[in-house]
Order: sequence, then C-alpha cells, then structure tokens
Amino acid sequence: MNEASLIGLFEATVSFGALLYLAALGEMIAEKAGILNLGVEGMMAMGAVTGFVVALQTGNPWVALVAAVAAGAMVGLLHGFFTVVLGAEQVVSGLSLTILGLGLAAFVGRGSVGEPAGAEMVSVDWGPLSDIPWAGPILFAQSPFVYLAVIMGFVTWFVLWRTRLGLAVRAAGESASTADAAGHSVVGIRLAAVATGGGLAGASGAYLTLSLTPQWADGIVAGRGWIAVALVIFGAWRPGRVAVGALLFGLTLALKTRLQTFGVDFSPILLSMLPYLLTISVLVAISIRSRNRPSPAPAALGIAYRREER
Amino acid sequence: MTEPPHPTGLAGTSEMPDGVASADDLPAVELRDIWKRFPGVVANAGAHLRVRRGSVHAVLGENGAGKSTLMNVLSGVYRPDEGDVRIGGMAHHFRTPADALAAGVGMVHQEFRLVPSFTVAENVVLGACERIVRRSAVEFAVGALAERFGLATEPDRPVWQLSMGERQRVEILKALWRDAQILILDEPTAVLTPGEADELGAVLRHMADDGRTVVFISHKLHEVMGFCDEATVLRGGKTVAASLSVADTDASELAGLMVGASPVITERPPLREAGEVRLEVRHLRCLDDRGLNGLDGMELAVRSGEIVGIAGVAGNGQRELTQCIAGLRPVESGTVHLMGEDRTDASPRQRFADGLGYIPEDRLGVGLAPRLSVTDNAVLRTYGRHRRGPFLDSGAATSHCRDLVDQFGVRTGPLDEPIAGLSGGNLQRLLVGRELVDGPRVVVAAQPTRGLDVQGVKAIQDLLVGERDAGAAVLLISEDLDELLTLADRLLVIHAGRIVAEFDPTAAERHAIGEAMVGHAVPVDDQAANR
Amino acid sequence: MNRPMGRRVGRPVLVRREQVLRGGQPLAFGIGLAVALVVGIVLLVGSGHDPMRVYERMFEASLGDPRAWSVTLNRAVPLGLAGLAVAVAGSMGLWNIGAEGQIMAGAVGAAWVARVGGEWPSPLLITAMLAAAILGGGLLALGPAIARARIGVNEIITTLMLNEVAIRLVQWLVHGRWKDPDSHNFPLAPMLSDNARLPGLFERAHVGVVLAAVVIFLFGLASSRTAWGYELRVAGSSGATARYAGISLERKILTVLVLSGGVAGFAGGIELSGTSDRITESLSNGFGFAGIIVAALALMRPSGVAAVAVLFGAVQIGGQSIQTMGVSSSVSTILQALILFGAIAAGVLSRYRVEMVAGDTTEATP
Repeated sequence: MNEASLIGLFEATVSFGALLYLAALGEMIAEKAGILNLGVEGMMAMGAVTGFVVALQTGNPWVALVAAVAAGAMVGLLHGFFTVVLGAEQVVSGLSLTILGLGLAAFVGRGSVGEPAGAEMVSVDWGPLSDIPWAGPILFAQSPFVYLAVIMGFVTWFVLWRTRLGLAVRAAGESASTADAAGHSVVGIRLAAVATGGGLAGASGAYLTLSLTPQWADGIVAGRGWIAVALVIFGAWRPGRVAVGALLFGLTLALKTRLQTFGVDFSPILLSMLPYLLTISVLVAISIRSRNRPSPAPAALGIAYRREER
Repeated sequence: MTEPPHPTGLAGTSEMPDGVASADDLPAVELRDIWKRFPGVVANAGAHLRVRRGSVHAVLGENGAGKSTLMNVLSGVYRPDEGDVRIGGMAHHFRTPADALAAGVGMVHQEFRLVPSFTVAENVVLGACERIVRRSAVEFAVGALAERFGLATEPDRPVWQLSMGERQRVEILKALWRDAQILILDEPTAVLTPGEADELGAVLRHMADDGRTVVFISHKLHEVMGFCDEATVLRGGKTVAASLSVADTDASELAGLMVGASPVITERPPLREAGEVRLEVRHLRCLDDRGLNGLDGMELAVRSGEIVGIAGVAGNGQRELTQCIAGLRPVESGTVHLMGEDRTDASPRQRFADGLGYIPEDRLGVGLAPRLSVTDNAVLRTYGRHRRGPFLDSGAATSHCRDLVDQFGVRTGPLDEPIAGLSGGNLQRLLVGRELVDGPRVVVAAQPTRGLDVQGVKAIQDLLVGERDAGAAVLLISEDLDELLTLADRLLVIHAGRIVAEFDPTAAERHAIGEAMVGHAVPVDDQAANR
Repeated sequence: MNRPMGRRVGRPVLVRREQVLRGGQPLAFGIGLAVALVVGIVLLVGSGHDPMRVYERMFEASLGDPRAWSVTLNRAVPLGLAGLAVAVAGSMGLWNIGAEGQIMAGAVGAAWVARVGGEWPSPLLITAMLAAAILGGGLLALGPAIARARIGVNEIITTLMLNEVAIRLVQWLVHGRWKDPDSHNFPLAPMLSDNARLPGLFERAHVGVVLAAVVIFLFGLASSRTAWGYELRVAGSSGATARYAGISLERKILTVLVLSGGVAGFAGGIELSGTSDRITESLSNGFGFAGIIVAALALMRPSGVAAVAVLFGAVQIGGQSIQTMGVSSSVSTILQALILFGAIAAGVLSRYRVEMVAGDTTEATP
C-alpha cells in the first residue's frame, strides 16, 4: 500500500461522496417537505442521459448540466403531481418513477451507447493549492461537481434552518395542516421541494456522464440512487451528517475496485453491502431512541395532505 | 369605547334574525345566514353571529350544534356554501386561514396546529417572519410578546416537551404575533385544569381590554357566566339566540336554549340495591404514553347493580384506567379483578369472555375499524363464534349483525358497506350494542355520549341504566359532570392517577367536586367512604 | 346551490365525490392502459417506427397464439407472486418493498438445495427446492418483520435496503463459490440438472403457472373468507382496534411480513427451476418492483393480482419481441410505468372531481 494509491483512494472517496451527496441532498429536501421519493435512481438516470446527450449536441458541459438539472426536476415534478396534487401513494409512485426514469433514459440514450463524450467537465484548477501534498490532489483537483456538492450542502443547510422558506418547508414535512394554517401553500412547497430534489438528482446523474465515467450505458447509475435514499436516513435528515455518511459510503465505493491492489483479501462485493447494512442499523437505533422523544424523521413524511376533509 | 370611523348608512348591517339590534357600533364580526353542508350532514343551516368589538363573546351549543363549523368558516378553514362573512363591516371571501389572518382573524383550534419538533419561537413566527431567521432575535421578540400579555412561556423549548396548557399559550401567541384583532378559541378549556382555565379567562379579559375581540366557543356554562360579555347560542346548525348579554341572563336560560325542548334525562333513575363486587382495581400503577405515571395507586370497586361515575380533568388517568381494565395497557404493579378473579394478565379477548363490555373513548380507530363493513365491525368481538373450521360463516355473521342493528336501532346503509358513512350517533349505537348484546356482567364506558346529539345521548344513557338495572356493574367515565350527577350511584373523583374523593351524587356540591378535581380534596380515606 | 358571489376563474381543486364512480378499478386500469399506449405511439412515431406494426408485433408475441401465451404466463408467474407478496403485506397496511431481494433469496435457497441434492428423484428435489425458496424469502423478510413488530422500525426502508444486500449476495456467490468452472470466467453458476427443473405444462409453460395460480387463489380465499383474513383486515384498518379485539398486532405483523417474503421467495424458486435454469445476478429482473405496481393496480387484492400480472407479463414479453424490429425494449418498461400513472390519475378522478375555485379572496368588498 503506497502513498499514491492511498491518495487515489481518498480522491475517489471524495468524488463518489460528492456524487452520492448531491442526490441525497435532493432526497433530503423532498423528505423534509414530507415527500418520500423512491425515484432517485430514475431521476439520476434521466439526468445522466440528458447531460450526456446534450453534451454531444452542444459540446458545452455547462449547458449539459443545466439540461440535466431541468430533466431531473421535471421527472421529480411528475412524482410531485401524482403524490402532492393527486394524493397518490408515495411509495408506489416513487418506484414507478424509478422504472419510468430508467426506461426513458434507456430510450433516449439508445443511440448514444458507446459514443465518446461530447464534452467533459474539466477539473477545477486551484493553482498552488493543488500542489499541497495529500490535500492538493484529494481536495483541490476535483471536478466542479464536487465543489457544487459542497456549496449545495451549505445552501441547503442555510435555507432549511435559517430562513423563512426553510421554516415553511420543514413545517410542511412535520405537520402539513400547521403549515397550511400558517398561510403557506403546502402544495406549492412540496412541489418545489420535489422538483429541487429531482434537479439535484439530475445533477448527480450528470456528474456520472460528464465527469466520473464520461460515457453512456444502460444501468450506469448502478444502484447509487438507492444509496442516496439510504444516506438521508443514515444522516438523520441533517446536511452535515449526510455529508459524513456520503464520505463513508463513498469510501466503500472507492474501495470496491481497490481492495485487491491493497492486498486485502476481502470480497469487494460483500463490502458494497455495507452502506445498506449500516443504514438499517441506524434506522433501528433511531427507532429505539425515539421511544421517548420525536424521531428525526419528518413526522408527516409519506402522508398526503388535503385540506377541508371531514 | 371610541367608535372607529366607518361609513354610515350601510344597508343591512342591522338586520338580525332575532331582532336583537343594538348596532350603534359596527360589529367586529358579523356572519349572516351561513350554510355549510358536508356529505350527509348540514353543519350550518343559516347561522348568524354578531360580535361587538372589544368584547369576549361566547358561542354556545351542544356537541354537533355547528359551533366549530361556523368558527371554521369565520377563520377561513371552510368556505361557506352560502352566506356573508363581514369583518369590521367589510365583506370577505376567505379562501384559506391565511386570508382570514390577513384580515385580523386568528383561531386557536381544539387540536393544536403546532409542529412538535419546532421550538416555541419557531412555531409562533411560522409564516410571519423576516426572510432570514435569526434565532436569538426571534426568541427575544416572542418572549417580549408573551410577557406583554402575561403568557408565561420559554421561547427556545421544543413544543413536544410542553404541557397542554403551555401549548395552548403558544397557539394564542401565534395569533397575537400575527396581530390578530379577532381571536377565536375553540373549546379552549377542555384541556385545562380549572386553575389554568381561570388564568386563561384573565388573559382573554386582558386582550379584550386591549381593544381586541375574543370569540369563545364552549359548552361549559359557568365559564361563559364567568368571563364572557355576550353569548350566542347555536342549535342544530342555526342561531337560536344572538348576542345575549351575559349580565341579563342566567345559566339555566342558556342551558334551555342549548338543549331545546327535549332535555336529557332529568330525573335520576331509581336506585337499586348494589350486589357483589364485580370489578375491582387494587393499587394499580401504569405508565402513560409519555412514560410518566399514568395511574399511581388506583383503588376502585364496582358492584353489581350500580353505576360508578368517575369525574376528573382530562388527562388525569381516566384513559389509562379504562385501558388497564380492558387489558390494552401494560400494568406496572397492582391487580385488576373481574368477578373476584385476578385477571391482571388476561388478554382483552379473555376479559370479554369473562363478561367485560368495554366502550372505549375513541369510537373510530379503537372500538370500530373505519374501513371495514358494518358486519365486520359487528362481529369484532364474537367472530370466533361464527366459524366453520378456518372459515368465517358469513351468513351467521350477517344475521348476527342484522339482529344487532335492529335491536339497537342503528340506522345504516347496506351491511357490507364500510361504516365510515355512518353518523356519530349510529356508530356509537353499533359499538355500544355490540358490547351490550350479550348481557355483560361488567361495563366500562369511557365518554360514551361525547359528540352525540340529544337523542343519541339519551339512547346511550338509557342503555347504560338498563344494564345497571339488569345487574351489571357499570363504570362510567365522563367529562360531563351533569351526566355523572344524573346517572351515577356513586361518584369518584380522579386526580393525578388516583381516586382522591368520593361523593354521593344526590347530595354533592359542584364546588366541592371541582375542588377535588384539581387535587384540593380531603384524602378519600378520611371521608365517610361507604365501601 | 347558491354560491358566494365571486368570479369563477381561479385554480382547480379536488373535491371528494359523494359517491365513487361505478366501474372503479377496471375502468381506471383501462384508462391507464390507454394513456400508456397513446404515449407509446408518440415515442414510437418520434423514433421513426410505425406504432401499429409495433403494437401488433407485441400482441402477437405475447398473446397471439398458445406458444406466445405460454411464454407470457411463465413471465406472469414471478410478477403475480411478487404482486401477491406486496398485496399480502399491503392488506395489513404494510409495505414490502423487498420482493426483489426476497426473490433472489428464494432462488439462492432453491439453488443450494439443487447443489446438495442433485441426485435426488425429481419430485422430491423440486419440492425441497421450492420449500427452501419459501424459507429463503421468508428469512430475508424476518429481520424487517421483527424490527417492525418489536420496535416499530419502518419496514419500507429495511426491506428496500435488503434488496441490494440480497442481490450482492447472489453476485458474491456467482463470482465465487458457485461459479461454474466451465464458464470461461463469466460469473455464471452451473446449469441445474434436469431433475431440478419444473415439468412442462403446454408449449413452453411450466407447472409453476399452476402452482402460482393455486397460491394466489388460496391467499384470496384466506384473506376474504377465513378468520385469519378477517383479523388481517381488522389489523390493516386500525391497529388499535385489532388490539381491542384481542388480535396480537405483533404476531400479525411478524407472520404477514415473513409470509410475504416467503411468497416472493417462492417466486424466486419457480423462476430458477422453471425458467432461468441457473442462478444469475439478473434472475429477478425487476420483478419485485414490477410486483409493487401489479399489487397497486390490483388494489392489494389477490384476485386482481393474477389478472394484472398476466397483462404485465404480456407487455414485458411483447417488449422483448420488438427488439428484432430495431425498437428499444425500453418502450415496454416505459409502458408499464405509464399504465400505473394513468391508472392512478383515473383512480383519483373516480373518487374526486375537479372544481374551479373562485380566485377572489383577500380583497374585501364593503
């Protein structure tokens, strides 16, 4: 195990962590507003294919990113329409969204399989900072997506916990009737939150096809959407803790291809079970602890809201 | 009081249904001919309300009289099907509670609209604060507002840690924070101890003196007499008396207006000789839902042929007591005896087999399964009898259900339709009938008449008395002291999870019972307990 | 009915109908199918195909002749059983999102028996395999079941997480211990021996079709006609009512979730022994998730599950067949999701009607 491979490991940890973090932040925002969206995998696929195809067309990775965000947000809004406006079962709609997103992405991308990328996000050059040993390559030579993830983490925290809007979003997720009575539009808030969540999932997908593995293939998301769903729970609906979880889960993804180079005789496949098992443990711990105090999960999560019912 | 400037000669502002026209001042609130229908129910059928600015105005009525619906119309929760809402003489069409708030109408609902995980301050400023929320500044401002109106609170505490009385103060603060000029309180004292209720009265008076208008919904007459200026009485969705001056009326007149022509049981059913002890609770302790002491050394015995009533302020262990007797709540220590046998560890089903009929406080959701059919609900206790091997005999179940429906006068649609469409009174008839049809030896009834109309109340009360006369031991828990005083043969008062006093209902003074309910009572052992 | 004076322009709101429209779910389902087909036409035309020819091919390949039916029915088996698994849990208000993993776990159990008892007589071996499949699926659901029953851990998330764990377990096996030495480094387990395969029924259909139909029928009977099913309905309607009636909620949750897992595991065993013939990473090709859609469309009723499963089987088989025409099979995936979305919308509209709400509100009129 040499220094270069360790640096490579941590570099990959940060990239994978950012990939997961973007999607998990989106899911967290939706859940904070009371909407469980199990369609992350589908939204990421739509973001990934849109980013890739638009990059092919325009050659501009930033235009591609914007398109990917828009695609993710639109797919998210579909879930919003069915669960928020029509009051459909969130679990069913979300899983169908995953199926729809994966199907649509495969359909849109059917001609682009194996094509070289039209554009790639160039890693940000931080000048002298990139030359710092260890920290340079790990923190200051990353794709712009990594910094986007960090910024979005702070923005999400600030908006949710330090603004009027955030108070309203959290109220919609804790007690929709209370938010409504206080004059907030629960429908509007929830739709916006699901769309924002979809946009972030789309950005995460675009990170895959514009930066991490710049190509399109069916199944490129490879279950990372489910890890993002797990992360929100693992991080107890807190951006900071979700970030820690993202790095931890990112590490397991980064280790997967590197275990053998480190000479560790442990199956990388078994290692990749870890995020899910950890999440289950955290969920059990939360449930045990929540016997005398409120659970960190938004109280109205998964519950449709309709006014004037009697 | 100074008259606010207003356009003169407004047509129609003085037309009142009962000819009570005293409007030389533009009323703060005026509701005219309000109609509101729900599927199967007409909640408001041309109701009126007129409230003077700077007054505390009571809206009285029995459960189901349409008080809450009318207030929900006023506060923008419901849109009226017909009718006018006028605030300060201006017509409004509220679409949401926020619209009403913007017009200065704030409502404190019976079920609090609070986010338990938010702090007091966050709850208060939700929907009305700066774009950027600075915690310390907001908490300071909320604290200052609370102090101004004498509402003790801690702005930085999460609401889930607060008592019901404290939560209510947060609700009032929310309205004040929005600068509500008209504050509606929907049965605010239901969750309060009498002491807290008096404090609330003082706060409301303070607000009225401040020039605000308070609309106070209640069915407790002594509170209305205590701290309201005027009263409007609703019955059957209509206004039967508008803006009576409290000084010019008395409790019996108001009571008469509330119940109308057909009074509830007025005469006490004749006493019977009580027989052997059928239900006995010995030194029972259990935890409540929050993990605190729910019952704390409860002692109780009910004999064959008597109704024992339990009075108390809500939340003093009534719920826990019935649940422990029914086998729905784990017991920490102590015993429950049925027919002389220790049944502390028996299952709910075994207790039913022993002859325990249980009418729980929550009809839908505990006593009845909302999405199931009438038949399915009718056989909830006895489906084990209608079996052929592993299969249920649906024919036997249906005929059992039909008998029940006929015998207890339940008005239903098709028996295989979900019960959700039944009215409250019919739901309760079905539930009570199911529990009583086998002639139980012990009956535990928790709030059996709450929310029912007059006929419903009478029917249920008659059934309970009938069971007593047939020799059952009946334990009746009610928030309605009048009901207890008419029905009970013995009256016990519960406070902080134990019985603190016993009264003879024929000779008891309300005042003394009220004292006992707040814990200012002579210990039960020192009284002439006739057990 | 008089309404307050006001302009009628405004925003639409949903108002509950006093009576649910008749025809209900089959109609909603039909509307969903129509919506999906129309969107499918748009996609196909957009990608330069003749939609009528594509749909014709899909129909012929899935329902056109006995052979097509046999393939469709084979596919309907895992879909129907997964749907049943979801419906069994759903009848109690629980969500088993883990059918995908439980199918895998069931297949692992069956494959293990096949490895151990390769020489056993066929009826014995197959029975043992299917029993092990039920056990495997049930075992994977046991953890979430205990956690939910004892400490109230949300079963949606736990079952969902275990999907990924079970899939990786299979990956681990077929990349390692169970890898066929003759597979030229492909991650493939060896083919099952002939006596481990389900006997045929007609054309390509295997007896798994009958087994699945029987299981679905039995559950339908149990849930609507037995005391056990009655208790389940009570518990699903209100947990507090169930406790009041003396039904142990804990035990019900435990048995129902484990049973649900067992049914999904059974699907895995049949899929392995009847169709796939060897265990692979993609043995449960989204059946568990499709099963959730199937159950939702069937309103969690076992009787409806069978019918919807056959239709979804046809859409999937039809989708595979059009690849030879150069049409992406993803069209069929999209159709499946759209059927559900269309049906949800239609279902909501059968219970609610859209009404425009006057837009004037806050402005006061003296």
